[in-house]
Amino acid sequence: MTTLLDTQQDAVISELELSLMTTDKAEPSATEDATAAKRRQFEEQALPFMDQLFGAAMRMTRNPADAADLVQETFVKAFQAFGQYQQGTNLKAWLYRIQTNTFINIYRKNQRNPYQGTIDELEDWQLGGAESVTQSVSTRSAEAEAIDHLPDSAVKDALQSIPEDFRLAVYYADVEGFSYQEIADIMKTPVGTVMSRLHRGRRMLRELLADYARDRTPGTPASSRSTK
Amino acid sequence: MTDCGCEKAKAELEEYLDRELNEADFQDVAEHLDNCESCSSEHLVALALKLKVKQACREKAPEDLRSAILSKLADA
Repeated sequence: MTTLLDTQQDAVISELELSLMTTDKAEPSATEDATAAKRRQFEEQALPFMDQLFGAAMRMTRNPADAADLVQETFVKAFQAFGQYQQGTNLKAWLYRIQTNTFINIYRKNQRNPYQGTIDELEDWQLGGAESVTQSVSTRSAEAEAIDHLPDSAVKDALQSIPEDFRLAVYYADVEGFSYQEIADIMKTPVGTVMSRLHRGRRMLRELLADYARDRTPGTPASSRSTK
Repeated sequence: MTDCGCEKAKAELEEYLDRELNEADFQDVAEHLDNCESCSSEHLVALALKLKVKQACREKAPEDLRSAILSKLADA
């Protein structure tokens, strides 16, 4: 039935279709290759951050099992969104953002903690903290020395006991070395709030650790307490 | 080279510690810390705390986490 010359166009089309079909036929393995390549790239770039993300997850969830779940969930989400990640930008910060969001969406939803939302609005006096103004140089030197000698567990316990937003700000700045702007992006809050959370978190931490060190030092007179 | 004074140094101590100050402010605070024992001892405590937190929070993920993640990614 293909008697007309104008079938030439059809022939072109069918050739095109054929080539498309050929591509289609070849596609499964090509797609597989692409997916595998994408996964390999993701694994190479993102997996090295696993220990760090786990450390942050420990500070978020406060127990190893939930922390491991959170990190797994973070990697799955990050892999699914990896196409949106711009190569060359800060991958670590990107992963932390995903983990922080995941934590808030999954874990924090299950915790009823009305205290959390208003924490930034509390006044400094309501939070307590180190009153370093009243300290002498020698007291501060002793304090720095005492901090140096604290067991890691005391530091972690103290961190766990301060409000979450403060804890994470301190963690991001001190452990991960993120800039204020990066922390602001991760926590979705203005830089000023980050600074305030850091300041307050560190003050509370310092006070808690001073208490800890004092309780561990026998014969320390009560007058050396930093309270007025 | 006038000293920036305790007030500015104390106010900017944390930003100094976190390397968030611009070059000029950073130099101002650094210079003040060199000359003021009170502020430099305050800086020392803050630095000790920062380093301690960093050191204490170093964690190693559980052995099986890596393989668990890899198998999840294979299914994703």
